[in-house]
Amino acid sequence: MDVSQELADYAAKHTTQVLERSQPVQVDMGLLAAFDNTPIDPSEYSSDLDAHLLQLTLTSTQALISALFALPTTPSAEHGPVIRPPVPSTILPREKPLPKPKEPTKWERFAQAKGISHKKRDKKEWDEERQEWVARWGRDGKNKQKEEEWATPVKAGMEADQDPAATARAERKARTAKNEKQHRSNLAQAAASSSASSRRTAQQARAADLERSMLVSKSATASMGKFDKSIEGEPKSRGVKRKFDENVPKAGWKGEKEGLLGVLKSVESGLGRKEKRKGETKEGEVVVRKAVRYHDREERLKAGRGGAGGGRGRGGARGRGRK
Amino acid sequence: MSMLRTIKPKNARVKRALEKREPQAVENEKTAIFVRGQSTSEKVRKAMQDLYALKRPHAINFSRKNDIHPFEDASSLEFFASKNDSSLFVTGLHSKKRPHDLVFTRIFDGRILDMVEMGIEEIRTISEFESPKSSLGARPLMVFHSDLFDTHPTYQQIKSTLLDFYNGHPVSDIPLNAVEHVISITAGPISDTAPLPRVHLRVYTVKLLASGSHAPRTQLTEMGPSIDFSIRRIQTADEEMMRQALRRPKLAKSDVEKGLGKKRKNIETDEMGDRVGRIHLGKQDLSKMQGRKMKGLKVRKEKPVSAGEEE
Repeated sequence: MDVSQELADYAAKHTTQVLERSQPVQVDMGLLAAFDNTPIDPSEYSSDLDAHLLQLTLTSTQALISALFALPTTPSAEHGPVIRPPVPSTILPREKPLPKPKEPTKWERFAQAKGISHKKRDKKEWDEERQEWVARWGRDGKNKQKEEEWATPVKAGMEADQDPAATARAERKARTAKNEKQHRSNLAQAAASSSASSRRTAQQARAADLERSMLVSKSATASMGKFDKSIEGEPKSRGVKRKFDENVPKAGWKGEKEGLLGVLKSVESGLGRKEKRKGETKEGEVVVRKAVRYHDREERLKAGRGGAGGGRGRGGARGRGRK
Repeated sequence: MSMLRTIKPKNARVKRALEKREPQAVENEKTAIFVRGQSTSEKVRKAMQDLYALKRPHAINFSRKNDIHPFEDASSLEFFASKNDSSLFVTGLHSKKRPHDLVFTRIFDGRILDMVEMGIEEIRTISEFESPKSSLGARPLMVFHSDLFDTHPTYQQIKSTLLDFYNGHPVSDIPLNAVEHVISITAGPISDTAPLPRVHLRVYTVKLLASGSHAPRTQLTEMGPSIDFSIRRIQTADEEMMRQALRRPKLAKSDVEKGLGKKRKNIETDEMGDRVGRIHLGKQDLSKMQGRKMKGLKVRKEKPVSAGEEE
């Protein structure tokens, strides 16, 4: 029986021969990965694919193993020598965004602004009467001391049937409820601000920016955009409200008087008057700009009267304006 | 995200479980979900079974069919991701237009990051190779061959996806003899007939032989699966989303050295640089402790100490 062929096949399969590479194999030990960036040889690839793949894998694996074995090891009883690979050089995307720092509470913001440093309160409190440390709250807490007093001195102005223990308990419960409420509002605010910042992508920010500038430009006409044609899907302007002066000013009538006098003064001095354009109005000359505009207007009026439906859009718009 | 109601933890166990799902500075290993579309082929099922076997234990296999077409509507994938707290998907599909189809999807922050669609051309499963197999949960080595993985954007994405899939999670300590298998990814040479050459996936078991020098000699035996992929549709990541996903946390160097920033309780390094641990022992039961045995300490039951002894 001739087994030489089988032996040769086996040898080819279990080869440990390493290929020559034009570029050295890059190794990322942090991820236990190696990258062989040498182009694949088309002739080798098409002649015997599986053998070529094995050769390539062997080459890069050998490079990776050599790099890993060169790292310093620490002995361990269970697993033998253990290596600690460096931080990966290949950056892969995360599963979730980076954790956000905890949103400060209202009190924390206030303390920050005022420069109040945090004081850690002990859980226990010194009781002078009992001469021992007692819990501040909770079971046998000091905050329940008033409720558990066997006798309370009656103060002047106290009603006869008032239960001091019940009053103290109600006060304590109210404090707890208030704290609970503040805690909830802090949580709600933190949730709102974190969701607002994470959901708002760059695209959304750009869209909001465009909307804002569009609203600004629309209201920048003489009629504050009142008679402008509206575009389909146009954003509504929100938060713009007319302001009226008070009928009876709280600060007195002096302010109103001064305001009105100021208007008169500005009229007198010609403060709000439009500056005449220079170089257009010399005595006896035709103002070209005005002449052209006048001519255009005449033409348009003629066309509006004569044409059947051509000028309706414009006419309609003006008609609305006169109402 | 909005499909899931927000759960308010009612007890500490639920609270801990929910906290684990929140964004972490040092993340846990990504879990992959293997889900089949409405129609699949034998090849697709085989490939999914083997890719699942390689990814275990960080993998969930959905046994039922789901009407999923990731490139048309990925909302159900996003739903599965948030429900199972996982961020990798393999969807198996089969249609006349795209036979033997596998879609690799990555999720970031509950939304689709990118997708790679590949067709299975040739497949040999793990069971078809008569060779030793790697053990469950063993960490593979991964090797990539071809310059395309360095230069071609499509292949760069494939490389990133596959690397993320099997080796994306850096580990702090690795025993040297734990190296069991290597996953080899090779792209064919680019030519006029094949503008997008095939990608070959091979898995070999690694045997380390003594070589006389410090590094051992490597011997490889094919273990399977062996899959040849053709490249189909690609969906690249949104630039802004990718930028967010690639951000790294700032970790103190000592934390990284201690074990990639994971907080370890009760282990500290003292001023001398020695590691000091604090362990909790229960209260010792002193009542059963055997003290010194002496005749005089013996408790005599019959004859209690009486007044007569004083005399």
